[in-house]
Amino acid sequence: MLPFRIDFHSGEPVYEQVIYAAKKAILSGVLSPGERFPSVRSLSQELKINPNTAHKVVAALTAEGLLAVHPGVGTVVAPSVPGSAEDRAQVLVQDTERLVVEASRLGLTEEQLLNAVRKHWRKLNPSP
Amino acid sequence: MNAIECDGLTRHFGNIRAVEKLTLQVPAGSIFALLGSNGAGKTTLLKLILNLLRPSSGQARVLGGDSAKLRADNFQRIGYVAEDVIHPDWMNLSSFLGYHRSLYRSWDSKLESQLRDKFNLPEGIAIKRFSRGMRMKAILLSTLCFRPELLVLDEPFSGLDPQVRDDLIEGILELTAADSPCTVVISSHDIAEIERLADWVGILAHGRIVLAEALTELQFRFRRIEVVGPDVRQQMPDPAPAGWIRAEATTPTLIQFIHTQFNTNTEAELRSMFVNARIQSSQLSLRDIFLATSKSSTSTDGLLT
Repeated sequence: MLPFRIDFHSGEPVYEQVIYAAKKAILSGVLSPGERFPSVRSLSQELKINPNTAHKVVAALTAEGLLAVHPGVGTVVAPSVPGSAEDRAQVLVQDTERLVVEASRLGLTEEQLLNAVRKHWRKLNPSP
Repeated sequence: MNAIECDGLTRHFGNIRAVEKLTLQVPAGSIFALLGSNGAGKTTLLKLILNLLRPSSGQARVLGGDSAKLRADNFQRIGYVAEDVIHPDWMNLSSFLGYHRSLYRSWDSKLESQLRDKFNLPEGIAIKRFSRGMRMKAILLSTLCFRPELLVLDEPFSGLDPQVRDDLIEGILELTAADSPCTVVISSHDIAEIERLADWVGILAHGRIVLAEALTELQFRFRRIEVVGPDVRQQMPDPAPAGWIRAEATTPTLIQFIHTQFNTNTEAELRSMFVNARIQSSQLSLRDIFLATSKSSTSTDGLLT
């Protein structure tokens, strides 16, 4: 079993969707530093994706410093993931963009959008 | 390195031009999806590649040799999976696999037992009594186990339930994940499944190749564009620039089209073309790309069903 799941949707390249799901898992701490990251083979088999795509995903995450290759062990989550608040926010860029685009298409103002977000935030994080 | 190279490949049936002056390269190690409507010539093309049909003119080269000279020995390296190629179908699974095992020098018995576990096929009954899904699994099993260098699948998923499709896909990926990856050519209507599996795509219409390229490049250059702004309809260029398809001013403030030559400068170009407008671009699914390309060629001559 993979430590993250993907509901593939059409319209966005498969590669981007896998990268996004993996980053979310790493930066949100679902996968902790030092933990093994799935091999190219198991990514390909479990997600039923082209092995070249799986390979590109692992290579891109390694190049970004999120994964580290340990000879003999395999690929692991990098010991010190550059998990600043900014990096973690970066994971949500796509979702944020989509939200802003939809809101402006509906003619909402910035204030109305922020209020809607705040309302949801408070629902999930009730202040003591 | 290409696993398949077609050069001016042509096949006529009487006055029906099933495959017409077709030029195509399939890179070695790729999973190449061959898409096209019914009658586009997919099955004819695959049969030409495998020397099951002779070309009227032109040539296909397969694993380095002329396809018209393929002999039994070459088929030690080439696998073909189609609904109607299950022989001998009066055998049960074990005898059937035993028969195929005896034909192929490179038979991988370990892979055989692994796939038999995964595919979970009935042992006691003749293959001709199998359901369509079970039959496709049996054919795939008898083909994957000799680890072909080139695997050609003609509509392997059509009419199968999702579980069987998943099993077939896992079987195919089993082969491509090996150290010496094989080249896979799949014709299919199930574009959503193919989109995850393939890294190269060829679209066929009326016996000709409309496009053939890496999926990542294809999905980069095809974009759905929306231009939103006051009076954009009046700024709409007429005729629409080359590379735009299905361009339409849906409302006075919205223009929609599919850009087929999107690049890193396109958004800036559009911003200078439309004053005070907002440009939104989004990538297309393979299904939408296929539909967009097939709608732009609607001639009906040369159809073969």
